[in-house]
Amino acid sequence: MTAPCAASATTTAERACGVRVQLQPSWLLHSRPYRDSSLLLDVFTADCGRLGLVARGVHRRSRGGSLGAHLQPFRPLLLSFSGRGELQQLTAVEAPGAALGLAGERLFSGLYLNELLVRLLQRQDPHPELFAGYGLTLEALAEEGEVAPHLRAFESQLLDTLGYHLQPDIDASSGETVQADRCYHFDPESGLWPAGVAQPGGAPVYPGHHLLAMARGDYRGEVARSAKGLLRQALAVHLGDRPLRSRELFRARLTGEGRG
Amino acid sequence: MKFSPALGNLVEALRCLPGVGPKSAQRMTLHLLERDRAGAMRLASALEDAMQRVDHCSRCRNYTEQDVCEICSDPRRDPQTVCVVESPSDVMAVEYSGGYRGRYFVLMGHLSPIDGIGPAELGLDRFLERVAEEGVTEVILATNPTVEGEATAWYLTEALPASVNVSRIAHGVPLGGELEYVDGNTLAHAFSGRRRVERPA
Repeated sequence: MTAPCAASATTTAERACGVRVQLQPSWLLHSRPYRDSSLLLDVFTADCGRLGLVARGVHRRSRGGSLGAHLQPFRPLLLSFSGRGELQQLTAVEAPGAALGLAGERLFSGLYLNELLVRLLQRQDPHPELFAGYGLTLEALAEEGEVAPHLRAFESQLLDTLGYHLQPDIDASSGETVQADRCYHFDPESGLWPAGVAQPGGAPVYPGHHLLAMARGDYRGEVARSAKGLLRQALAVHLGDRPLRSRELFRARLTGEGRG
Repeated sequence: MKFSPALGNLVEALRCLPGVGPKSAQRMTLHLLERDRAGAMRLASALEDAMQRVDHCSRCRNYTEQDVCEICSDPRRDPQTVCVVESPSDVMAVEYSGGYRGRYFVLMGHLSPIDGIGPAELGLDRFLERVAEEGVTEVILATNPTVEGEATAWYLTEALPASVNVSRIAHGVPLGGELEYVDGNTLAHAFSGRRRVERPA
């Protein structure tokens, strides 16, 4: 009995990203108005990865008008959709839980995560582990405590998912573990090199003990600054020339504070 | 090509309106030609007039054909209270409600990093300058209760000087609505923002 069940499970999975999908766990990454009362959605689903959906008649009163309230980022959603190709049609929305209470600066962090995903993930490329990681990161952001370590852990997971595993504890010149008392600089192509060897002018330098902490997944305290720099360098290669706009949001806010 | 060039052009031009496809554009064109040429001429001159003269108010960024719009130049309006909204239609909505006697600032959008809309695109610097110049004492943040609207409201909250009273409009159950049909998040907001009922002593 088990064999046919397994076979049917595969075909369901194969079919999952076309034709008709029911109640797929999803997060909304971005939406923009389309025609009179419709929205174009960019969603991150558990089994189908990032998808483009059309939600028709969202603002229409005859549909209860509450669809727009459900279709917000940082809120767990169950989406049903159908169709093939780039843009599928949203058929039903259920919100099984309340929105995560991201407020203030944590909203900016959430928007930053969403911009990263929209910029770096290909459409219709399933990443169930990253999907879970994204949910956990949002939950962590909604709680008290430091934001930065969670953002760094997510950035690192995102790089892994894209197939560019970052090894912060390996010295690229020797292939051995980095030494805690030395400093290193990072080359996105090849990895970490001891500082001083063919180092381009002004490149950021990372202390060895920070790198070892990062390899253990510890991004707290004084490691935070190094981790931010290193991951930003690693992500920059994939982001290309266009900068992330959500980062400007933080920067503009900081200069505003400095001015005031 | 079924139509004469001028007719075809008009059909094409009408399609720039939201929700107007080829079929409706054709129907509108034929209606104007057959039944309402005077109306069509009025429409043409009104369109040209509006497109050439209407620009943003230098103070609140709402649409106006003067340098400063009627609301901003109305002396009966409280110049020290400013309500921040996302779009000109939000100004209309607040105006129709009739209860507000201060002035406005229209953002013409909300912060949306993915669409490339940051503080500079919304003229937030201009707004902060205005607050300082005109001695504004109260700012009401009436951006939409969406994630982007909240982010915009928070950005302004952080950037405004501490001497300014900042408030955010309340979110809750619509008048005449029924709790059963209200979305859970809205209801949660309504509960967390509940108000003590004043009782006669």
